Amino acid sequence: MEIWAKKHILAIKELSRQEIEIIFNLAKSFKEIAQREVKKTPALRGKTVINLFFESSTRTRTSFELAAKRLSADVLNFSTSSSSLTKGESIIDTIKNLESYYPDILIIRIGYSASLEVLSRYTQASIINAGDGKNEHPTQALLDIFTVREFKDDLKNLNVLIVGDILHSRVARSNIFGFQKFSSKIRVCAPPTLIPYEFEKMGVEVFYNLDKAIEDVDVIIMLRIQQERQKLSFFPTLREYVDNFSLTQQRLKKANKECLVMHPGPINWDIEISSSLKDKLHPLILKQVENGLAIRMAVLYLIGTKKKDL
Amino acid sequence: MKILIKKATIVNPDSIWEADILIQNSKIIRIDKDIKDKVELVIEAKEKFALPGLIDMHTHLRTPGREDEEDLLSGSLAAAKGGFTTILCMPNTNPCIDNEGIAKWIREEAQRIDIVDIWPVGAITKGREGEGLTEFGALKKVGCFAISDDGSTVENSSLFKRALQYAKMFDLLTISHCEDKSLSLDGLMRESLISSKYGFNPIPDISETIRVFRDIELAKYLNARLHLAHISSAKSIEIIKKEKEKFSLLTCETAPHYFILTVDDIEKSKFDSNFKVNPPLGEKKDIEAIKKGLKEGVIDCIATDHAPHSVAEKELPFENAPFGFIGLELAFSLAYTYLVRAKILDLKELVQKLSTNPAKILGLYDRGKIQEGLTADLIIVDLEKTWQVKEDTIVSKSKNTPFLGSNLAGSVEYTIHRGKIVHGKL
Repeated sequence: MEIWAKKHILAIKELSRQEIEIIFNLAKSFKEIAQREVKKTPALRGKTVINLFFESSTRTRTSFELAAKRLSADVLNFSTSSSSLTKGESIIDTIKNLESYYPDILIIRIGYSASLEVLSRYTQASIINAGDGKNEHPTQALLDIFTVREFKDDLKNLNVLIVGDILHSRVARSNIFGFQKFSSKIRVCAPPTLIPYEFEKMGVEVFYNLDKAIEDVDVIIMLRIQQERQKLSFFPTLREYVDNFSLTQQRLKKANKECLVMHPGPINWDIEISSSLKDKLHPLILKQVENGLAIRMAVLYLIGTKKKDL
Repeated sequence: MKILIKKATIVNPDSIWEADILIQNSKIIRIDKDIKDKVELVIEAKEKFALPGLIDMHTHLRTPGREDEEDLLSGSLAAAKGGFTTILCMPNTNPCIDNEGIAKWIREEAQRIDIVDIWPVGAITKGREGEGLTEFGALKKVGCFAISDDGSTVENSSLFKRALQYAKMFDLLTISHCEDKSLSLDGLMRESLISSKYGFNPIPDISETIRVFRDIELAKYLNARLHLAHISSAKSIEIIKKEKEKFSLLTCETAPHYFILTVDDIEKSKFDSNFKVNPPLGEKKDIEAIKKGLKEGVIDCIATDHAPHSVAEKELPFENAPFGFIGLELAFSLAYTYLVRAKILDLKELVQKLSTNPAKILGLYDRGKIQEGLTADLIIVDLEKTWQVKEDTIVSKSKNTPFLGSNLAGSVEYTIHRGKIVHGKL
């Protein structure tokens, strides 16, 4: 097997195409193992993995938890609601305290963008980013791209469209950096108020009109819209948002025939996506969940079995 | 006490020449070639430079309220080490410097410590809350000659207009922190490709520029004195340049980091909180505009915006760490390295920016130059010497600076304030 060099997985930005391929190859094998009767492997036996979630999450946390357990690691779940953070203990103190358990891997979700590099100074453990503010959510992008690869032979020149709240989305950022490593062409579509400053300079094509953006696309990633954006006037009303940016049967017809529609979930039906597309989307969503487990097992395996720097 | 400085290269705003300087008590009594006199102390300054004591219009001494980060003694020592003999401390303390009691206490405490001159800047509004004006007259009586709500803008234009008007009665200088908070919101860094790429809440440069424009228009309308603090963007410089041609009561400052660092350096630092400052670091075009603005005289002076923060606060992730960093001990060497060595300014111009111009703006006519009869505030610097910024040599209580590890040229060997050596080896 190829040699894995990275101690942490903090951002897709920092991964090479080759490293992503290593993760994907391994995920393929783990996917097979998941279908066996005995699903557990002893790869991380004796290792301690801490799920350190400073923001609430169910799906990502449980996916990581199961992935670590399948690899026989000891898993500790630590989330804000059950922690001392509410008593004012700082994030850094929390990490320092957990250090006494000699953890091998910290899986961290946190509300602050690009903050994990700073946090890594306070622990010997490897860190896996499970979402940092608006910056990145690398395992989500890895599972999205992995899923697309199961349908499309070549990602090169594939037209990938991301629709919705790009400004506040770590899923969008990670997917953009990820698909770009495979030379896919990225389009983003949202009201101008939800597109970050000078975003074209990231090498993406910016659209404000979904009917135009959707023409000839192979993959669509719909992002969840937060109701509170309306209060801050990123758009005037949900009604107008839905009118312009909701994915409907009719709009989907303009995309390529075999177009894949994905959503990081949870979906607001009839807001981001028309509920009439439920049947079309469900099989893919289930595949994403399945692949998510395999991707996270692969990432944990690579980080957890990496030889300690001498 | 008499001190004789031998063979110093004396840098004034309009001349450079080698001579001896004779100091008696708190005054410079003679400047001449080869002075012979009976003195208590002789400083050999051959191949060294004598500059007027530096004047910082913008420091935060965290007193009262956060003496764990800086107090008047540690702030005075840091100032003296950095060559500053006169500093103005901003009122964003807790409690705020918005009444004569606190202002008077700071003045008296600084005089008791007696290392450098510290003058408090009074708040414009009570509690810096942007609602009611403070008693400008009472503040003036106890030693405030400038007022500012530094850290925040007076958002209410009508109230700011009254402040500028009312300040005229006491000939107070109004210093404005230019930031349209409704645009900067909870921003963390300059709106740029970097903020977009990493998902940081952005601060657009126009949040400064829009306030610059409003404040200048109000000051012009009232013919009132206005000084703009820590100018950071090319767009602001463009407006200031145009307005200064017709409006002579307008002055402004920048800080060293705005002509050295950009938002790209934040990315390179992997989002080290020591790079977080408000106004935020700009882009290359801003650095260029600020250098040009300094050269052309659009920017009158360089202030430090010295902002100490505790280690616990600055070890936090970028997003929840406080804004600002220390500057008193670094400003001279930063300005010398990045402006004089880089051939943007000559030494005379550097003296103007760091001493003569702030003295003029503040009406401190006894300093800002090395001249017979003036207060003996001066520094001896070794411009050949280079040194590295290290945490353990910083005398400020706080060590937060993005320049840790940097190698800088120009070292302050002696600082003399009112004829007394307040920094330097004897």
